[in-house]
Amino acid sequence: MSAMINKPIIAAVFSVFALTAVNEAAAQTANSTTAIMNGEVHTAAGDVIKNGDVIIRDGVIVQVGADLIAPTGARVIDASGKVVTPGVFAPLSSIGLLEISLDEEANDAGPNRGDGFPLGAALDAVDAYRRTSTLIAINRAGGVTRALAAANPGDSLFGGRGAVIDMSGAVDSVTKPRAAQIAMMGSEGASRAGGTRMGAWAFMREYLDEARSYAANPNAYVRRNREDRFALSDLKALGAVVSGAQPLIVHLNGEADIRNLIRLKTDYNLRVIIAGGSEAWRAAEPLAAADIAVILDPMVNLPSQFEDLGATLKNAARLNAAGVKIAFYNPPGFGAHNLRLLTQQAGNAVAEGLPYEAAIAALTINPAEMFGLDRQLGSIELGKIADIVIWDGDPLEVTTIPQAVFINGVRQDLDNRQAALLSRYRDLSRGALPLAYRGGE
Amino acid sequence: MRKLRWMALAVLFVGACAQEADDKAAENGAAADADGAETSAPQSVSVAGAAQGADDNGDAKGVVRPPLDPYPSTYEPYASGATLIAGATILTGAGERIDNGSILLEGGKITAIGAAGAVDVPAGANTIDAAGKWVTPGVIDIHSHLGDYPSPSTASTSDGNEVTSPNTAHVWAEHSVWPQDAGFTRALAGGITSLQVLPGSANLFGGRSVILKNVPSRTVQGMKFPGAPYGLKMACGENPKRVYGDKGGPDTRMGNVAGYRAAWIEAAGYKKQWDDYWKSYEAWAEKDGDKDEDAEEAPDAPSRDLKLETLAGVLSGDIRVNMHCYRADEMVQVLDIAREFGYKVSAFHHAIEAYKVADYLAENGVCAAVWADWWGFKLEAYDTVTANAALVDAQANSCAIIHSDSNTGIQRLNQEAAKAMAAGWRIGLEIAPEDAIVWITANPAKSMGVLDQTGTLETGKMADVVIWNGNPFSVYAKAEQVFIDGALMYDRYDPKRSPRMDFEIGQQGNDHTGGAGQ
Repeated sequence: MSAMINKPIIAAVFSVFALTAVNEAAAQTANSTTAIMNGEVHTAAGDVIKNGDVIIRDGVIVQVGADLIAPTGARVIDASGKVVTPGVFAPLSSIGLLEISLDEEANDAGPNRGDGFPLGAALDAVDAYRRTSTLIAINRAGGVTRALAAANPGDSLFGGRGAVIDMSGAVDSVTKPRAAQIAMMGSEGASRAGGTRMGAWAFMREYLDEARSYAANPNAYVRRNREDRFALSDLKALGAVVSGAQPLIVHLNGEADIRNLIRLKTDYNLRVIIAGGSEAWRAAEPLAAADIAVILDPMVNLPSQFEDLGATLKNAARLNAAGVKIAFYNPPGFGAHNLRLLTQQAGNAVAEGLPYEAAIAALTINPAEMFGLDRQLGSIELGKIADIVIWDGDPLEVTTIPQAVFINGVRQDLDNRQAALLSRYRDLSRGALPLAYRGGE
Repeated sequence: MRKLRWMALAVLFVGACAQEADDKAAENGAAADADGAETSAPQSVSVAGAAQGADDNGDAKGVVRPPLDPYPSTYEPYASGATLIAGATILTGAGERIDNGSILLEGGKITAIGAAGAVDVPAGANTIDAAGKWVTPGVIDIHSHLGDYPSPSTASTSDGNEVTSPNTAHVWAEHSVWPQDAGFTRALAGGITSLQVLPGSANLFGGRSVILKNVPSRTVQGMKFPGAPYGLKMACGENPKRVYGDKGGPDTRMGNVAGYRAAWIEAAGYKKQWDDYWKSYEAWAEKDGDKDEDAEEAPDAPSRDLKLETLAGVLSGDIRVNMHCYRADEMVQVLDIAREFGYKVSAFHHAIEAYKVADYLAENGVCAAVWADWWGFKLEAYDTVTANAALVDAQANSCAIIHSDSNTGIQRLNQEAAKAMAAGWRIGLEIAPEDAIVWITANPAKSMGVLDQTGTLETGKMADVVIWNGNPFSVYAKAEQVFIDGALMYDRYDPKRSPRMDFEIGQQGNDHTGGAGQ
């Protein structure tokens, strides 16, 4: 993939206004056929099809290949010179739970620390999810089509149940509620468990033991004295974790904690996924053997804490080479506003040795697999839900943006609040009326 | 706010003052440096010494603070022979692009640049075949907290924000900079050759910045950019009122402005005291000197006040104002305040809404230092557009800068500039690589007051040069070699030219990590 930017100026320059008009004209329902023709199709299923075609009908991919014939009546999109990929799937974010990080009212991305709020695992992202958040449209315009919306743990080790959502902003945009449970271990977990990692692991095991006890015999459990039992709603929520039905995404970084997690998975027969994992490459082979995926920020390369002493830009490439499934997320604390930068993170991982198609998979099929959605989502294959992006160049390149985004087969409006601000302030000259009368209608 | 403790830690990890360390203020309040608010006792200044200080600076009038630079740079360029970088695509930082160009580095300076055939090669020069490579000036970050929020990020090392008073103009960032911050090495691998380290943004007046060459040293003095002007960090908006709202104020934006104005009034009075003193001293020197035993005694110098010294330095034009300011309306308010008190704002930092008042900024000759796409961490950061820098740049006489405020962002300012450039293309602005490189080289150098020495590839300037393995505005681009004052300080393919800080060496199992390029 050569960079587009060897051309100093992109030939086809188009205004935000024009873009908006095109999108509105393209608005359509799922009950139609679309043919994306002659693109460079990266299927995330092992194939790269030069001059590839993708036919979408009723929201589903019905044909993929080269030299296909667009069905009669299909809306045909010429993707020649463009790159076509599955939509970007953000495996860990606070999308829809957060508008302004430092504004309490507009931040449901996790309970306050220090408030002693008693619940953790019981929290359900669906209860706070706001489909009209501006973050959704802004990141949709960056090619993100699905995401896990989840909260960060407050005082509990657990952050609650995250939901997989689609980025359409539609009323019914929750794809899979309660798709994963979130936990905090490592130095951050220790700070929630008396200040030590021993405390965090003891507390984690105790929680899982209690959840098992409750699941085995709820009636017996509730007959215990109140002081002898954990919050019932937390234990109920953890039932899906201890049964192995729901993955537990665990924030941690250091090698020691990572090896502990591998043991925990074996001891309790859990499905676990690591978030962070700055030293995960040091346990790459056992992670691969234990089938534990890692959601990471490939740009982390500083010894921010002692547990990050092994942080390196090579983390993604080394994990992938060992057979560990990886995906990307924004750095902690930036978990929702710029999911559109996952492609840049992937590009940086490629620059440090991650094979290109592995990077595409990390953005698409790997997250789908993490949440058991890989039979429906994450690749351009027959029968899959059509979450597809047409990019104006190499999708991992920082100068590239989507030209068209499909979610559930429906071409999406790429307009958003930032585009509206841009069109309002593009020309600052004094008009007949103040700028506040311009745009935004 | 506690909700954000995790975030605050993450933010410190990225070194940001953007989101501000008020959580740290809450957590560390009790432990905050108890004597931070008061500076050393007023010290009498010897008249002869003061006069000497003034002479050193070539300006007897208006000099208010002897000595001007009590902690001078001890940096000396490392040894380098003559180096010819031949056959590269060169972006000069002065708006030019030279295809198949060559550049000659000699004695730490750029001595020739031009088309490959037009540069004479001195005997014995080391020639680097740079065909297919791109060459740019060393990248400059105008907004960094490396060293004062170093890695590792612990309470022990958190030295970026003197959150004890809304006016801490008396603190100097250089006294917090830990030269062993591993972040400097990572920044070097991103092509950073100079940077401005600023205090955080909790306070209306945060303190003095320091400009560094990105060359490892045992001491911060060994990193200081020789002779570079000082900057003053100031902050608008949410941070000061959030941090001080329940600690005596300011509690509002009008409180912020009242705080600036009261301080400038006091500083003007202080400056006048010293100006008057100098006048009377000169009159005395002319009339009596110190030769005659019967002569009148020399006039007494006023007491020094570190806080007011810094502010008076701004009023006299010696110290540059770096104003953390997000909102368009506040930036224009600040321009009026600067006019009221007769100083200049050098750059608005984190200027999320600069595009809304790009015309005002250009008219006033103020730079806007922005991110490519960070947004939403607080309400005053809600309105970003990715074309912000491009729209600032589109004005005549403008000065757009891409800054990092982050120990990861500083490693790839080239990518940040690329995103901002591409956002400009999409609204029809013609921005070529030779234009966008200016946002991370010449413009920050101009704002920091070092453009006469670095920031462009022009003869006579410091040989601060980066060789990239391709177009630097690509996600795949890597700095392969970084020269600072002509010396090769980083080579992507030579571990011997890759610095590693003390904290990272000798750690078990760390043979393959740490250091520049990791």
